[in-house]
Order: sequence, then structure tokens, then C-alpha cells
Amino acid sequence: MTDTLLKMCDITKSFPGVLALDAVDLEVERGEIHGLVGENGAGKSTIIKVLAGVYKADGGSVDIDGETLADVTPRSVHDAGVRFIHQELHLVQHFTVTESVFMGQEEQTLLGLSARAMRAKAEAFFETALGTQLSGKTLIRDLGIAERKLVQIARALIDAKAKLVVFDEPTAPLTSGETDKLFAAIRKLKEQGIAMIYVSHYLAEITDICDRVTVLRNGQNAGRFDDVFDNSAPAMISAMVGREIDELFPTTEHSAAAPRLEIQSLCADAFNDVSLTVHRHEIVGIAGLVGSGREDLIDTIYGLKAPSSGTLKIDGIAQRFRAPSEAVAAGIALVPRDRRHDGLVLDMSVSDNVNLAALDSVSRWTLENRRASHAVATEMSETLDIRPRNIAATARLLSGGNQQKVVLGRWLNKGADIFILDEPTVGVDVGAKVEIYQHIENLAKDGVSVLVSSSDPGELIGLCDRILVMLRGKIVAEVSTTDLGVDTLVALTTGGAVQEVAV
Amino acid sequence: MTLRSVFARFGLIIIIVMFFSFFSYVSPVFLTFDNQVNIIEASAIVLILALGMTLVVAMGGIDLSIGIAFDFGAAFAVVALKDFGAAWYVACLIGVMGGALVGLLNAILIVGLKISPFMATLGTFFVGSSVERVFTNGGGPISYRRMPQEYRDLAVGDVFGIPTEVIIAAAVCLVYFVVLERSIFGKRIHAIGLQKDAANVAGIPVRRYMFVAFILASATCAIGGLIGSANIRMFTPLAGFSYLLDAIAAVFIGAAIHPKGRPNVIGTLVGVLFLGMIGNGLNLMGLDFNLKAALSGIILVSALALAVAQQRFR
Amino acid sequence: MTQPMSQRLLGVFPIIVFACLFAYLGVQSTTFLSLDTLELITKQAVPTVIVSLGLATVVIAGGDDVVAGGIDLSIPATAIICAAIIADQLTNQGASLPFAMILAFGAAAIIGAINAFLVVGLRMTPLLATLSMSVAIVGITKVITSSRRIGVTDETIVFIRDGTIFGIAASVVMTTVLVLVFYHALHRTRWGMNMQATGGSRDAAEISGILTRRFVVQSFLIAAFAGWIASVFVLARGSGSSPGTEENMLLEMVLATFLGAAFSPRRVVTLWGAVLGAVVVSALSVGFISIGVNVFWTGCIKGALILLVVASASVTTKGRS
Repeated sequence: MTDTLLKMCDITKSFPGVLALDAVDLEVERGEIHGLVGENGAGKSTIIKVLAGVYKADGGSVDIDGETLADVTPRSVHDAGVRFIHQELHLVQHFTVTESVFMGQEEQTLLGLSARAMRAKAEAFFETALGTQLSGKTLIRDLGIAERKLVQIARALIDAKAKLVVFDEPTAPLTSGETDKLFAAIRKLKEQGIAMIYVSHYLAEITDICDRVTVLRNGQNAGRFDDVFDNSAPAMISAMVGREIDELFPTTEHSAAAPRLEIQSLCADAFNDVSLTVHRHEIVGIAGLVGSGREDLIDTIYGLKAPSSGTLKIDGIAQRFRAPSEAVAAGIALVPRDRRHDGLVLDMSVSDNVNLAALDSVSRWTLENRRASHAVATEMSETLDIRPRNIAATARLLSGGNQQKVVLGRWLNKGADIFILDEPTVGVDVGAKVEIYQHIENLAKDGVSVLVSSSDPGELIGLCDRILVMLRGKIVAEVSTTDLGVDTLVALTTGGAVQEVAV
Repeated sequence: MTLRSVFARFGLIIIIVMFFSFFSYVSPVFLTFDNQVNIIEASAIVLILALGMTLVVAMGGIDLSIGIAFDFGAAFAVVALKDFGAAWYVACLIGVMGGALVGLLNAILIVGLKISPFMATLGTFFVGSSVERVFTNGGGPISYRRMPQEYRDLAVGDVFGIPTEVIIAAAVCLVYFVVLERSIFGKRIHAIGLQKDAANVAGIPVRRYMFVAFILASATCAIGGLIGSANIRMFTPLAGFSYLLDAIAAVFIGAAIHPKGRPNVIGTLVGVLFLGMIGNGLNLMGLDFNLKAALSGIILVSALALAVAQQRFR
Repeated sequence: MTQPMSQRLLGVFPIIVFACLFAYLGVQSTTFLSLDTLELITKQAVPTVIVSLGLATVVIAGGDDVVAGGIDLSIPATAIICAAIIADQLTNQGASLPFAMILAFGAAAIIGAINAFLVVGLRMTPLLATLSMSVAIVGITKVITSSRRIGVTDETIVFIRDGTIFGIAASVVMTTVLVLVFYHALHRTRWGMNMQATGGSRDAAEISGILTRRFVVQSFLIAAFAGWIASVFVLARGSGSSPGTEENMLLEMVLATFLGAAFSPRRVVTLWGAVLGAVVVSALSVGFISIGVNVFWTGCIKGALILLVVASASVTTKGRS
């Protein structure tokens, strides 16, 4: 029986300079779990936001239950029975489960809140609709992440009017055990005839629970899988990737030399038993999805977070960093993933940002020697081609690519032995990307050890000598980039590989 | 330039000029040289405390205990002079160290125990005021009529006709300007105040800097306490509290007239002089003491609101 | 997810300290554990309880981050100016109590509206806005009273001071009713839950369709309202309005409200917590006097208690995240 619940036709949406969606179709049938996959920037979140009424489409139509929505607004979509489970939980830590489920839709009589009734209703909902036991009196902060996710789902569905639920990366922060818990709830919802759109990077999950899958690539439909089997992942990956790696990357072979950074069985909350070595002249990549523990690993190496056990050695000497300043003193530099929050002091000038880590070298009797600091900044600005070529410009006003060059320039100026780059080209335009890659390459040539953590498989393969793959807090594979295909790497990071490669 | 951008850039300056013209108009005395010197002299202590506050606010904190540091500076110095017969410069040193003690407590609470600066310094304020009351048996002043002339001169002396307290305040102001606006220490403090996480990633030892800055700020306020005690030849418990709001207000007014809205030394100087001018002008208008209190309170709220509004318009 | 034992201990540490303090007071002073003392404690706590209700409301709606969240330091000043207006009207202008009360209410409403405008409209930090407002209000109060004490002999006010209802002090009964009304509104209605959500997480509340700005505005108006109510009890306690009483009240209000967070099972500011906090603070003052501790030390002890509570809260939340 084909019974279409949602039909999005020819959706087009452009932003200044970018065509984000180009006549995309998306159809969801009643009671099915429909997967939506694609690489970063393929248009998944854009089409979800169009459906949510957050973005207004330039063209196309949205039909729900056979009726065309005249005006797609958050209100009209909600009234039509569509609910969204955002990636962020949006819960109040000190609220109880019941209070969280009914937030903004509390039930009350003339005498006040019907606390008991709401609690009973919430607990019954968890039991019957999600197939789990959860006390309405528990505080959110005492729950695990998976249970919080269920609370978030209950909040969206408690009014029993939902026909279609959109999950945006629901498992990103979960461990595999917790994922099973969530999947049980999702299957239970399906039994009740609720349709779902499931957006995820984890292809293993997609093939596990989805009935059909729509693949997007560069803002266009790149295929639809009407039958999904456990071994459909490779076909999906080639639909998602669909391109050869372009000539973005300089090609140089590095002769690996003495080890510089050695990590042995490092453990923390988000990852377990991680060991890795980076040699001089070497560029090592870390691949992994959001939530794989990649981010915490970088933070721990740099002293932003404390490890629970394990050792870190630099040039054979064991180190323990209590703060980034100590890591910097030991010769490490970090280009952080959240450039605007951690990388730059946005309201300081380009010159100040470039000099921030090496102020001592441009000072006399602790007073800033402005001529020297400006000379350094001007030189960096020339070397890295930072635009505008005005070192007094406020960093906030620069484009993403130029901001990243400023962060890079700071560490080039400081002269570190180990460069850690976390998502070095997120939000960076293609031109600047090429330049940044060249600089990374040059660093390695000069004997610097480079560790690159990235969610862009193409970038890692093009840039690195070796890649370590993290999945759910563990390093599951180490691969050389020679003859490594993007689809193989994607398969490894998404857990879609038939066989896990042992380290 | 639109009206809006003129307001965003010069709103407060225009208000300050308007008040200045107004007082010149209503009071013939206001514009005289002697009266202008009066304003500056009356602003000296506030300026010193406001500078300490500028340092803390530039680093993204707040210090509600500057009054306690002021009092401790005065108390330590007066007791050193009176009970231990210390030389005047030793007493000054001891006073400043007494103030630094207050800063040390703040630093331990904020950096060590990670209490928010507001709560921590509020707690220090309560503990400090109580200690002062106990020490003085309920808040009676400790007076010392026969204090050395050199110490007394901190407040009443002059060099080439310029009052010593003005010279001291100017010197502190200059030092603060160099440290906060020209040195690499100041650059790092500003970076911490703007974006603590980014400063941390850039390798600045954020905790160490915060620790030092809180102590430095309190020590500075103690200098104000020295002058205050020299002026009236006694230590009056809880006298420092009255400077708190003026100091905060001066810092925020100063931030509003900065092109980037940052707390800064020159701005604080302008803010202090503005508040001094308001107090002086209201006095000259011959207003009743109570009415003066009400008016200066209202002007304070309005100036702060304007300062904030001005930054929002950018 | 269970917390390690050491952390749970740290969480209840303030409560243990208080329990020990009271046990000590009970043993040291023969009169401390008696009904008379209890009445004295509750009567003394009344104005603090009421202003703390106001502050708790603002903190609940604004979040408990002291600088970025909600705080209103102008409530005691509001109480003082309302008391001054009422006393001035009754004693100097010969007005009736209802008229005086309405006039004071108008003043409180204006103060609440200005606070709300500064915080929500201009996005000024609540701390700075309400602190400077407090100074301005105290200044205006000086104009009204000429910095003098104004005695009040109005029957109703005297009844609130001395009278009893069912054998219990009138002020205590009235305050209890007020506390119940506040509790019902904030913890037992949809409106109150939405206000709590606003303070708990602004983003979460907005995504649930709650108009957060409106709730923050309302919280400042309610705080001013609490100041207005408190003024009557301030008048009763002092048999008139006296200058310079706001500073001590400010200290007790902040202490009571944030102390209350340590008593609440969820470790957040609640109305019950604030009320309990105010009573505990009052009990400590009475207790210390009854065993003859130097009265000047009480400020030190209160300050140390604030730090203790806040420090243990910061240590436990640090461990949790």
C-alpha cells in the first residue's frame, strides 16, 4: 500500500552566492522510517529547515496528508502534525521528567497544575509509546543522554497529534548501548503508524532502521533507495560522494623520521585507550563523526581537558598539561574547530590576534613595541595573503578563510613543533582552502609534526600520510592514504564497513 | 553620518558637555580655576579606586570589595603608625599590603574555588566589613592626631602648588595607562576579558593572570585608603563603601565612550571627572543635601542607561 | 548516573554545617529551643522573607548566574522608599492608610517598570541596573524623609506589629498567606512553570513557545510588588520609617535567597528555599545573641556562609558536568 504522507516537490532555495537546494524532491509514506543522507553541505539541514518553516523556499511545494500547505510556517507545520527532534536537547537540567515533557504545554485546572495527572500521563507515554520505564519525578540531570533524548521525543509527541517526526542526528552523542535504547523507542513509534525522517551520518544505523533512503548531493537528489538492505551502505556512499578528489592538494611524500608526539592508552570520558604517534615531517589525520571522541581527544592533548589515565610524550619526555599554556610552552599549537569562540579574540585587531601567543618577542621591558608587532603582523598578512591587507581591521569582520589564516599566522609566528588542526577548513572558501593546505604541507616539509582532525574525508585523504579512524570513542582503524578511496574512509567512519580493520 | 551613528559614537560626550555648559551657566563660580582644581582634587581618591575596578572589569570580572581594600589600606597604615611607630613609608607599604590581602582572598575564591566574581567579592565585602567592626569594637574610628607630617602630606601637601593627592592619582593613572593600554600584560588582560576561552587556547595562563589582577586591583585601592586616612588623620571603618558605585559607574561610562566599548583608563578618568563635576555642580547650585543625593542618583542611572544604550546602537 | 560519594557529601555540606550550628546553639542556650524564641525568629524574619520572595522570583525567571542571569538588588530600597512614602503621608500629610498605600504602590510600579526597561529593553546587566537604581531610590527617599525618622501610629500598622490572629503574631500569619500565594503562583500554575523554564534555559523555553521576555519583565514587576508589601512590615517593625536600613536588608535578602538554593533538593533557587533561608538567617542572629556572641561577628559569619554555600555549589556543579 502506498500512502504518501509528506510530499516535498521541486524545493529550491538559494542563499547569496550559493544554490543550497536545486529542485529537491522528498516523499515520505505513512508509517515508514525514511533516511536522509548526504555529506556535509549536501542540503540535508536546509531541506529540514524549509520543512520546519525556518527557511522560506524560493520554489516548490509542500504537501502534508494530500493537502498543500499554502504558507509553510513553524505554526502551520506544527498544526499539520510534524514534529522535530533537534540535535540539541533543549532541556532544563533541574526540571523533572514530567516538567520537561509538559514544558510550554502544562495542564492545569482552576486549582493549579494537575501535577499528578501530568506525571501519570508522561509515565504512561514512556511505557506505551516508547516502550521504556521512566519515573516522572527523576531530574533531567540525573538521566543518561539516551533517556534525555527520549524525554525530548516525549515532549514533541505527548499531545498525540504527531504524524511525522523528524530526527536530526539523534545518535550523535550516544554510545552504542544507548543507541539501541533509542532505536527500540523509534521502532515502537513506527508500530503506532507514525512516519519518521531520520537524518544521520551513521550509515550503519540508516541501513539498520530505515525503510527507504533519500540521498542528497550538492543540493540535488542523488538517488533514492526503495529497498534498504544491510549491504546497501557502499551504494549509498558512492551516491553521496559521487566525485573524484579534485586537485586541491599538493602532493608530497614525507619521509617519516623520529617520533615526536607519542600517546599511549590515553583515556577520558569520551574516548578509551587511544594510542597514536606522530613523527617529524609527518601529517597524521584523525577521522570520525561528531561524537566519535575525536574532539575530546584533541582537547585532552592540548591540556583543555584532563585525561583519566594514559601518557603523553613529546620527544620521548612524558608531559602532563594542566592548561593550554603549558602545552604551548612544550611546543604545541592548536588551530581550534570553533574559530569564532576559541580561535580568535573577535574584537581585537588582526595584528593583536597574530601576536597574541608571542607577545614577549615583540616587547621591550614588557611594553608592546608596536613597530615590531605591526611588522610581524604585516609580514604574516603578506605571507598568508590575509585580506583585507589591513592589520588594524577587527578580526570579527574578516571572512572565515581569512580568520583561519589569522589563527594559523599566530602559530606560524610563535613557531611551534607540533601543529594540531581541528576542522581546519570548516567555513573556509575554496581559494583559502588551497592556500591553507599548502601551508600545512610546508610545515611538514620544515620538520613540524602535524595532526589534522577533520570530518571531511576528502581533506584527510588529500592532506595526510596516515589516517586514524575513531568510532564511538575508540580508534578502530589505521589506514595509509596511498590508494585510499573516499568511500572506503566514509565506510570506516560511519561504521558502514563490512569488516572493521584492526589496528 | 546619521543622527543614530552620532549618538552611538558621541552620545555621552554630548551629555557631558551639556552638563558642563549648564553648570557654567547657572553658577558663576563653576568655571573658575579654583573650582576646577576642587573638582580634580575631590576626584583623586575615586579615580584611584575606579582604576582598580577598570583592571578587574577589563578582565571580565567585577569587584564589590574595593571599599574593603580601601579600608584595610587605611587601617593597616594607621595602626602601623600609631601602635608600632613605623616610618611613614613603611606604613604606606604595610597599608598597600593590607589591601593586597583582600585581593588575595578574592583571588583564592574566584580562581581557586571558581566562585563567580560577584558572589566572591560580595562575600569578601561582608566578611571584611565584619572584621572591621570587630577590630574597632563596633565601628568607632581609630584616630591618630600626631601622625608624621610626611604621611599627612599625602593628602594635604603639595608639590609646586599641585596637591599631593592629585599627583599620586595622576601617577597611578599613568602607571595604569601604561600597564593596561600599552604593555603586553594589559593586552593579555584585555584578551581574557573579551574572550576567555580564546585567550586560553592562545596559551595565555588565564588563571595566573586573573589571580595577579585581583590582587593588583585591591592593592591599588589601598593607596586610596592611605590618602583618605591621611586626610582626616584617622581610620574610619566602612568608609570605602561609599566609593563603590561611583567607581563602577565611572568604569562603565568610560567604556561607553571608548570606540570599541571597552573599559579603559582614559575613559575611566573622564567618567570620574564627570561624576566629580556633577557633585560639584549640584553643590554650587546650593541644593539641599538630600535633594542632591536624589539628583546624583538619578543622573547616575540615566548616565549608565545611556552608556549601555549607546553601545547597543553600534 | 550516580555521583560519587564525596560529591554528594559536598552537596549536603552546607546543611550539615547549619545543623551543627543549631545543635550547638540549642545546647549552649537554654532558651534557644522554645516557642517564644521561635516566634521571635519568625517575626524578625518577616521583611526579609518578603523581599526574598521578590528576589527569588527574579532569579527563577532570569537564571541563577549572578551576573548574566536575574538579580534585583533594588528590592530593599523599594521597600524603604514605600515605607517612607506611607509614613510621610500618614504622619506629615494626614492622609488615610489606603491612599498612602496606593501612592506607594504607584512608586513601586514605576521602579519595577524602569528595572524591566533597563534589563529587557536596553539589555543592561541586571546587577548594574538594579544596583544603580537602588542608589537613586535611596537618594529620592532622602528627599521624602529629609534623612529623618518618621514615626507612625496608625492602628493597622500597630496591629501588624503587636496584634495576633488565632494566637499567632499577625505579621507571621499575613506573611504565611503571602508565601502560600507566591508558592502557588510560581510552583503550581502553568504561568509559574513557564517562568521557571525561562530561567532554567532561555533557549529551551523559547523553543517550547514561551515568550521569555515577557516573563522577565513580569518578574521585575513582581519584585517591586514584593518590595511594596514588605514596606508595611518594615514600618511595623520600626514603628515608622528610618533612614539607612536598606543595606542590612540587602545583605540578608541575598544571603537568604542563595542560601535557600543549598537547601533545595534540586540545588536551585526556589521560593521555599528563600523562605527557609530567611528564617535560618534570622535564627542564627537570634541564636548568636542568646549565647552572647559579639554582634559584630555575625556579619562575618553571614559572609562566610554565603561563600561556603556558593563554593560548595560551584564545586558540585563542576564535578557534575
